[in-house]
Amino acid sequence: MNGKKYLVNKLSVILINLLGMLFLAVFLLVSGSEGHSILFILFVWILVLSCDLMIVYRVRKKYLDKLLAMTEQLEERYLIAEIMEKPERADDAVFLEIMKMAEKSMLEKIAEIETERREYKEYIEQWIHEVKTPIAAMKLLSENNRCDFTRELLAELEHVNHYTEQALYYARSEHTEKDYIIRETDLANVVHGAIADSKYLLRQNGVAVTVDEMNGHVYTDDKWLRFILNQLIGNAVKYRGEQPEIHFYSVKSGDTVSLMVEDNGIGIAGSDLPRIFDKGFTGSNGRTVQSSTGIGLYLCRKLCGKLGIGLEVVSEGEGTMVMLSFHINDFVARVQG
Amino acid sequence: MKHKILIIEDDITIQQQLKNLLTGNGYAAEGVTDFTAVMEQVKAYEPHLILLDIKLPGDDGFAICSQIRAFSDMPVIFVTSSNTDMDELNSIMLGGDAFITKPYNTAILLAKISALLRRAYASDGQEVLTCHDVCLHLEGSFVEHDGQRAELTKNEVKILYYLFSHAGTICSRNDMIDFLWDSRLYVDDNALSVNITRIREKLSGIGVTDFIKTKHRQGYLLS
Repeated sequence: MNGKKYLVNKLSVILINLLGMLFLAVFLLVSGSEGHSILFILFVWILVLSCDLMIVYRVRKKYLDKLLAMTEQLEERYLIAEIMEKPERADDAVFLEIMKMAEKSMLEKIAEIETERREYKEYIEQWIHEVKTPIAAMKLLSENNRCDFTRELLAELEHVNHYTEQALYYARSEHTEKDYIIRETDLANVVHGAIADSKYLLRQNGVAVTVDEMNGHVYTDDKWLRFILNQLIGNAVKYRGEQPEIHFYSVKSGDTVSLMVEDNGIGIAGSDLPRIFDKGFTGSNGRTVQSSTGIGLYLCRKLCGKLGIGLEVVSEGEGTMVMLSFHINDFVARVQG
Repeated sequence: MKHKILIIEDDITIQQQLKNLLTGNGYAAEGVTDFTAVMEQVKAYEPHLILLDIKLPGDDGFAICSQIRAFSDMPVIFVTSSNTDMDELNSIMLGGDAFITKPYNTAILLAKISALLRRAYASDGQEVLTCHDVCLHLEGSFVEHDGQRAELTKNEVKILYYLFSHAGTICSRNDMIDFLWDSRLYVDDNALSVNITRIREKLSGIGVTDFIKTKHRQGYLLS
């Protein structure tokens, strides 16, 4: 509470008192009182008035400062009306009532929006599950009737599947609930699975794939990891150069297993590197390749963050190397022998 | 004997295409048509393996699986578009043998099916394939002709396996590469040519010549 402003607010009280003093002084003068007794009476009046102003100011300031501090400490500040003490002053009680009303309408609004969001997320998830049936049907139809034309179709279907998966994981990543299970996962299986998901895309674009022997069991969710790898493969295909190659290998050092995904594509400009994980960031590559969305790597980082996977991207002029590092803590390593 | 597979899937196209895929790969397959009486059809058809969707009209896949488990141990593969961990957990708890999500990779589906059938019915897979006095030994990875042997690499075994199992028909290079990719060998056109040349050299080393014929612009043919 600002002292100056308080005094300004109290101006009317002070003026009325001054006016009262004036009238009293005139009255006393007229009724023949002596000068020094009038001065004494006026002095006492001023003393009482300033004491009152000061004490009220102190008490109010203490009360309001406490309230302010309490609010600042609160995580959900709109709930302050719930925990503040019941005020004794009549006007404060009205303010509390107003705050409670505001809080109630706010809570209702939040609940409404939360329900809406949840329903939307459920709808998106359901829609994605629905759309996978026709995708599966198209895939089966094409695979049962293999020719050059259906091969191209299969590559496009893999695109469609990439995008639907992206939407699914986007919807999931926005919510805090955990729908993943951490279990022992064979890195090689996940890598081969991800390649199988993008088989026609890779073949149609003439990408040479090499997978080195992998000696890593890591603790993670295989479906999420497979999704991340699919996004990386998608990027390697999208930003490919001449005679594209993609190379998977693993490196073990201490209690960390790193999965490397290396391509010889157009790479990422040094000035873009710090921002590639930002949502919607497409950078200078986005201007040359039309289908950049700025979602893939953003999702990768988000999912990696949830799963506790280290994610690093190195690109120097040509080619990109993505490193996914899995931490196996000492305890797990010891149990395994 | 052909293994019988029952497809419990309400999407007509997928059911039909799965049937084509399975019959094309040497199985007998049948789809459930009436979803109010699934159990009757299961009992009448007596399949060796069941492909089961979760979302179905009438009883869902989980209910059907537990009904099946009440009288049979036959392998059940859940094929579904839902890929939440809860569904996967449920399917395992109720006795499902595998869980594959749509859109499935047909190679993986077929591999799962053959693995489960082999485990459940202990029918030994064909380990030796023969074509015109040439024997391909899958386990030992060598070819044999007139008592002479030639050792093969992993890639060469896979390539020969494909040619042997499609003996008499022209195998297109594209189909062969597809098959090899499904077996985790990521070869391209050139690598396939190199492998074929090397296989021919090895075959002529044991007195087999002109075994793999090149059909111009079409592919390869065993004869």
